[in-house]
Amino acid sequence: MNIVSKAGGAFRLKRPAWNKRTRLNFWIGMLFIAPWTIGFLAFTVYPMGASLVYSFSEYHMRAPLQWIGLANYANLFQDKLFYTALVNTTYMVVVGVPLTLLLSFMCAIVLNIKVPGQSIYRVIYYLPSIVPTIASTMLWLWILNPNSGLMNMFLGAFGIEGPNWLKDPLWAKPSLILLSLWGMGGTIIIYLSGLQDVPVSLIEAAELDGANWWQRLLNITVPMVSPITLFNLITGVIGMFQYFAQAYVFGNSTAGAIGSPLNSTLFYSVYLYQTGFQFLKMGYASAMAWILFFVILGCTILLLKVSNRFTYYSG
Amino acid sequence: MEEIAISTPLSAEEIQRQHIRRRRLAAIRRGIGQLFSHLLILAMGMFFLIPFFWMVITSLKSDQDVFRTPPTWVPHDSVSVVIDGKEYPLYHVQIDGQTMELALVSVAEGRGDFIDPADPSKTYPQVRMKFATQILRVGLRWRNYIDAMSRATRPGLGVNFWTYFRNSLVIAFFTIAGTLLSNSPVAYAFARIRFPGREALFIFVLATMMLPYQVTMIPLYLFFNESLHWGDSFLPLIVPAFFANAYDVFLLRQFFRTIPEEMADAARVDGASEFDIFTRIVLPLSVPVLAAVTVFTFLWAWNDFQGPLLYLTSPQNFTMSLGLQDFKSQRAVAWNLLMAASVVFTIPIIIAFFFAQKTFIQGIKLTGLKE
Repeated sequence: MNIVSKAGGAFRLKRPAWNKRTRLNFWIGMLFIAPWTIGFLAFTVYPMGASLVYSFSEYHMRAPLQWIGLANYANLFQDKLFYTALVNTTYMVVVGVPLTLLLSFMCAIVLNIKVPGQSIYRVIYYLPSIVPTIASTMLWLWILNPNSGLMNMFLGAFGIEGPNWLKDPLWAKPSLILLSLWGMGGTIIIYLSGLQDVPVSLIEAAELDGANWWQRLLNITVPMVSPITLFNLITGVIGMFQYFAQAYVFGNSTAGAIGSPLNSTLFYSVYLYQTGFQFLKMGYASAMAWILFFVILGCTILLLKVSNRFTYYSG
Repeated sequence: MEEIAISTPLSAEEIQRQHIRRRRLAAIRRGIGQLFSHLLILAMGMFFLIPFFWMVITSLKSDQDVFRTPPTWVPHDSVSVVIDGKEYPLYHVQIDGQTMELALVSVAEGRGDFIDPADPSKTYPQVRMKFATQILRVGLRWRNYIDAMSRATRPGLGVNFWTYFRNSLVIAFFTIAGTLLSNSPVAYAFARIRFPGREALFIFVLATMMLPYQVTMIPLYLFFNESLHWGDSFLPLIVPAFFANAYDVFLLRQFFRTIPEEMADAARVDGASEFDIFTRIVLPLSVPVLAAVTVFTFLWAWNDFQGPLLYLTSPQNFTMSLGLQDFKSQRAVAWNLLMAASVVFTIPIIIAFFFAQKTFIQGIKLTGLKE
């Protein structure tokens, strides 16, 4: 993305022999970046290598490692729960992420209206997003409580009989989406900063040409913020593929087992955690982790490729 | 006089009056527009505001008030009387068609023993509890906070929410210290030291952002637990923070690059070492970005759930996140206490937010990447 192209300098293949100054700078530089280098080797390179080896092995903590080649991967593609987890995660990515983007864009537009007290409104919209994940999850467990929760009381006031939310396999995922919508303040702020960068001159020119509010929104604002939409989309998709804490707590609290009810909240990362740390199938879980890596990488590349046609970069 | 005023096309006065009227109309229209805007913003804001309030309201309710239908928007507390130095809850009790205000002394098998608070010698033993309803009055039950925080959540172990709060603070403190200490020299090297291979290495740093946490999770777990025997301690959560990470290196480097290089060069000419330039020139000028890193690291460490879930196994070492989840599984329906603990969990972040509002907003725009 942006970051990479900014940092990417040309590789100099033929470099002149280092003089004394360059040599000194090299060693000073190495000394300064030593914390990163050590951490990179210990906490990234080594675990990546180990994870790759595990993924080709049968490995249960205490027993020694046993090389089994591609068997883990082959078994995964026969594993019904693996597909359940993939489908559940895809649901969240396909429904949850676009819904979050759409609604946070709407909120950003509303918050961009010039009214007195604007900054207070912005704080109200933003505040839920900094409530700690587990605290907000507890709060929504309470709000979505089918008998005495606020949500079903509210729906009841309109004569609607609310669903069983977390205990209903059909409604468990929408419940989680509702919870994540409550904390979309960060996305709203990013959109808001994008809206403030839309040139006023463009909007005014369109106004003079007789374009109404809706036309201005659709033909000027939406294209102008499309790079931000892409950014939010990619970070949203990456985040949703790794969705864990809220689902873990939801499942644990409703039926005492993660993934419940009826595996409807068994997301990819939840299943990975369960496989690795509850069933102690470390090799199998490692294979799942590598598949996740390539799925995320593939989605990111695909989104970047497709977005070329829909994203407008000014300047 | 009047007739003349009507017959002449428009007097100067009249034009002015019309002008004022038109201006006033426009102002009213603008006012209606603004009112409509306020209503729209508030209506949508309710989705964010009401759950937040509901957390606070629930945390101040009594056990009986929590489950009332329809729910009350104002917290109600139970009422009690003190008789002979002991505290008893007050009930409305129906006896022989009469409703009396009595104090409950003891209850067993659906029958309660009541006494008259006005005259403690009058007793009403073995009254069926279905004839008694506890008296609730509007009042904030602050005691929930004391109950939630100080009462043992794991009775046998003497662990309470203050234990979890302290653990979270300790982990957050060391994570922040490690992050600041390790990331700033690395970022300085990438921003200002002209060493060969710098740009290529920096791409490498950024590339590590692409790697999902799950890939390294299992080997790291085994490394910390089996090789280093750090299981059930804070070390696996704290130590990695002392070895720099791509997000903070990137954030700091971007800021360091905005500091004029001439200053560093002038110091170099005067014989200052890179370390001098880093500590005496660059760091003092970087307080805003260091504050941003501090705030975001705090937010991240305070919020973390999966790390503590993997490494911390005994309740004495639980963080707030783990403790809250543990409390929920122990006492499923104590919503008021659970919400009180959640409010306490949230307060440090709210405080951080109001102290560093600008930093927060700036940081989101800069790093949106960081969850």
